[in-house]
Amino acid sequence: MFSGVKPDKKSKVKGITQLGSRSSSSSSSHSSNSNTTRSNSSSGSGGSSSSSSSNKGGGRKSHSGSSSGSSSGSGSPPAGTPPHTQMASHESLNSESKSSSLNSKLGHESMTVRDGSRTLRPDEPPLVPGEQLEGTAREVTYLCPYVGPKKGTLSVTNYRLIFRSPETDPPFELEVPLGVVSRIEKVGGANTSRGENSYGIEIFCKDIRNLRFAHKQENHSRRMVTEKLLHYAFPASHKLPFFAFGYCEQYPENGWSVYEPIAELKRQGLPTESWRITRINEQYELCETYPAVWAVPAAASDNDLRNVAAFRSRGRIPVLSWIHPESQATITRCAQPLVGVSGKRSRDDEAYIQHIMDANAQSHKIFIMDARPSVNAVANKAKGGGYESEDAYQNAEVQFLDIHNIHVMRESLRKLQEVCYPHIDNSHWLSNLEATHWLDHIRCVLSGALRIADKVESHKTSVVVHCSDGWDRTAQLTALSMLMLDGYYRTIPGFAVLLEKEWLSFGHKFAQRVGHGDDRHQDADRSPVFLQFVDCVWQILKQFPHAFQFTEDMLITILDHLYSCLFGTFLYNSERERIEKEVKTKTISLWSLILSNKADFENPLYSSNTKHHVLFPRTSMRHLCLWDKYYCRWNPSMRQQEPVHIRYKELLHVKEQLEKHVDELRKELAARQTHDSPRVASAIV
Amino acid sequence: MEFAELIRISRCDRVMLHRPHHRVLDGTLCITGHHLIVSAHGEEPEELWLLHSNIDAIERRQQGMTGGTLWLKCKDLRILQLDIIGADQFAKVADTLEDLIRVEDPTFQYPFFYRAMYNVLEDGWTTFLPESEFSRVIQPGDDWRISYVNKDYKVCSSYPAAVVVPKNVEDSDLVAIANFRQGGRFPVLAYRHEGLAVLLRSGQPLITANGKRCKEDERLLNSVLAREKRGYIIDTRTQNLAQSAKLRGGGYEPELHYPNWRRVHKPIDRHHMLLDSLTKLMDGVNDTNSGTDKWLSRLESSNWMNNIKETLNCACLVAQCLDQDGASVLVHDTDGLDSALQVTSLAQIILNPDCRTVRGFEALIEREWIQGGHPFATRHARSCYTPSAQRSKINAPTFLLFLDCVYQIHSQFSCSFEFAENFLVMLFEHSYSSQFGTFLGNNEGERKAMKAPERTASLWSYINRHEVLPKYLNPHV
Repeated sequence: MFSGVKPDKKSKVKGITQLGSRSSSSSSSHSSNSNTTRSNSSSGSGGSSSSSSSNKGGGRKSHSGSSSGSSSGSGSPPAGTPPHTQMASHESLNSESKSSSLNSKLGHESMTVRDGSRTLRPDEPPLVPGEQLEGTAREVTYLCPYVGPKKGTLSVTNYRLIFRSPETDPPFELEVPLGVVSRIEKVGGANTSRGENSYGIEIFCKDIRNLRFAHKQENHSRRMVTEKLLHYAFPASHKLPFFAFGYCEQYPENGWSVYEPIAELKRQGLPTESWRITRINEQYELCETYPAVWAVPAAASDNDLRNVAAFRSRGRIPVLSWIHPESQATITRCAQPLVGVSGKRSRDDEAYIQHIMDANAQSHKIFIMDARPSVNAVANKAKGGGYESEDAYQNAEVQFLDIHNIHVMRESLRKLQEVCYPHIDNSHWLSNLEATHWLDHIRCVLSGALRIADKVESHKTSVVVHCSDGWDRTAQLTALSMLMLDGYYRTIPGFAVLLEKEWLSFGHKFAQRVGHGDDRHQDADRSPVFLQFVDCVWQILKQFPHAFQFTEDMLITILDHLYSCLFGTFLYNSERERIEKEVKTKTISLWSLILSNKADFENPLYSSNTKHHVLFPRTSMRHLCLWDKYYCRWNPSMRQQEPVHIRYKELLHVKEQLEKHVDELRKELAARQTHDSPRVASAIV
Repeated sequence: MEFAELIRISRCDRVMLHRPHHRVLDGTLCITGHHLIVSAHGEEPEELWLLHSNIDAIERRQQGMTGGTLWLKCKDLRILQLDIIGADQFAKVADTLEDLIRVEDPTFQYPFFYRAMYNVLEDGWTTFLPESEFSRVIQPGDDWRISYVNKDYKVCSSYPAAVVVPKNVEDSDLVAIANFRQGGRFPVLAYRHEGLAVLLRSGQPLITANGKRCKEDERLLNSVLAREKRGYIIDTRTQNLAQSAKLRGGGYEPELHYPNWRRVHKPIDRHHMLLDSLTKLMDGVNDTNSGTDKWLSRLESSNWMNNIKETLNCACLVAQCLDQDGASVLVHDTDGLDSALQVTSLAQIILNPDCRTVRGFEALIEREWIQGGHPFATRHARSCYTPSAQRSKINAPTFLLFLDCVYQIHSQFSCSFEFAENFLVMLFEHSYSSQFGTFLGNNEGERKAMKAPERTASLWSYINRHEVLPKYLNPHV
């Protein structure tokens, strides 16, 4: 307990009521006073700055008992009640107006980016450096599923779509980086559309929301907007550069230097007697989807590595991910062996696995964790792949972790989106959630990672992890188990290193899985593998709130920029491609934003003592929750109603002061001990 | 009665105790009048002390002559497993425990035998006296006064000696109104919001099928309304239930006779419905073996979350009436002992930041629940592990549901509470079984009769000590 910080006596928890229009108008007028900064006045698609029309939110019945529109919801509580989370909620909610800045922050991190000094015309949106206005359509209506139609101006830039409606005070704002757009569809034909708001476009987004805009036919604005949107939302399909190459914001920190492969391996204690660092893949010739620098068993020669590469899918041989600082047990990652129907073997591969085992003197066994369900692993034999037979690999035990493939995950997320957006069916929320199986899949991934961490930590046994290609499920598993085992990865720079290493350098195909700038929205290679990983990180964070230096806001920011294409970090499929495109010199790293604004993401309850702890999260369904702050964040009624991030900053400040005080006292004590008479000194000790 | 008559065996060696999240404890079992104690044989001194009053149900499974296993299902929702060697010992232990957990006389309860081993700096029995609590709400010259009409608990057995009522209503009127309200619970002040709108609670009016009316009652309710203002009567039963209550001598306030009050029905489940819901919830929680994990749908079908939702909804409505409409509210159900208390206390947590501090929350529990006459003894006599055939309709986890509602608000507003989640868990545990006398009996009258304030220690005396309190504080504030 920190002294000096008392609960806010003034505030009322009126927010949990089911919004009456009266309350929302009163508090939004309140918020208009304080929301003077730009980032505060913006809002998500739900519009935290909604006002009197908020009654359209959920088709609620007016109450017989309340006289003047305080329709306190006998009928339609807007929110579901997952076991430990929010229930009914409020639209513009609290008297603490600051929350809207939180909402906007979570909705649009990029908004914190400051504009230069250029003065703006009133209806011209502020732009980020490098951004250009490409087109503007007036008298467009945004059909917000929560606050109802809003009439205003729709602008398209080379980076974003910006909608502003002056109807309310503060103005209603919506802005969407075009990178999140998955597909754009026209709604209503020129001659067939009857009725209000039936003619327009619908935009389907990758971040769990859809946007409907209605145009006036006589304005002929739809065509221009659609063309511009198609053009700038899908640069890859139009042979255009990503916006990241034009973005020229200055950040004090350079995020590209956060990860140096050799430095990270040295941090882990390499090279050792048994492990060496090799640049055999410097030109990406041995394996084009792997990084340039590898750590491999010292006992394996370069020639051995080439032979092993020939027997592993796409040349992705077992390479070190993490080594235990004490026991030397390791996590190595690779792709499936090319066993095929005939059951081919490779002496070199077998010897190589033996080298990995021998590098760990603590154990005479090695586990090979195959992330797939065993039926899938068997089926892969028909395609030339397969898994290690225990006959061929002495002392190895193969375990299947039952994680389904990218197509199953994509389908599960699609169902989840249906359940979460735009409206939540309160009465069947939990069973609907269960039917998506999303949490089931999370559980599988988490318990697989837990099993790996347990083998390495508790059994001091090395683990080889692979799936089919070793860039989806394998990345999830190695990164999560490393997060559990090594507290460094739970710091802000450490997490950046973890992503740079296990995801980016080892060739998770971000471009393909996300579909950056690509208009083929039905591409079967798209899948929310990385999102699922971040969700797993959130689940661990929720179970160990003191063990992470960062808050969930950082995870949400990372996910927002996974799609935004504002930063170069997640562009392209492999390290090699990123080198070719000169991403490091021509774009800005996401870590520049995060490291430059560290205070926004820092967890005040982080205890650095936990650095040496190994986290074994519980993976039972009872301990998993839906990450509603991410999946349901567009729904104003599901948002956090308190400005928690402000409290966090206050707490960080208090913590800093206390630490300083402790330091001073320590110094004083040390000084006294050296100068004072022995009698006094011993009295203090 | 002497405990010695019930204790057929006081010591039993070589028992094995299985607890969740603990290693198996191999040791000696001792049974005293109030405790079941298992102490380990090993080098590390490990002990379990369990109050008999914490045990909700005992299940026995005998294995021939070799002994058997007892499952002790506790009101704090734990399930302990005790392996006992020897058929004779097993039977004796089981019989003894079954008798001890059913000792009815409250004066035999542990609080009357427990002696605090610390200096009591502040006596919890006098910390929240009505006079001092209400002095925060009413000022001299106000329209409200403290009435001692119930000083010997004859007007209303479940009310405290001191209640706050409108100044212009005489004690004789209160007696008349008590005769017109269920359980004698005439409308009393629960909370005054920002010095204006008031929150009242009561039992249902005894309208009966004949449509009885009570002029004093009507006058009391009218007197709390400001000029030209309308009030709300929140009835936490369905319209149908309230209607049919007339046939059983109860009813609701008809508009004809209460023209300035609008009646709203916000049904909240009570009594055995709640206990059934908790039973289903705990069935799901404890069933960790089911291969296909249907946890979420089981959670949903237990209806527990829905109960929370309805209760919070109703409390939010009340809060909104008071805060946004500035309108006064009267809350009642049938008896005014359960859902009415949930709603009035939650509304105060929503509206009044003071209730979100440790002291304020303790005062709220004391005012609304303990002095307000929630019958803890009967409601908590049995809990969800008692087979439904042995339950009574008056056993209910009302207070637990209330605490869960507070937890839900807490998790939505994590920076607004001085106390942490474990404070709520601690209150839950003590409300079912405790060494302290705070939750004893059904009302103040009963506690006075058994001299609880003199003969037992108060939970608040213990909790508010600076050695104890810090571990219940919220690190966010």
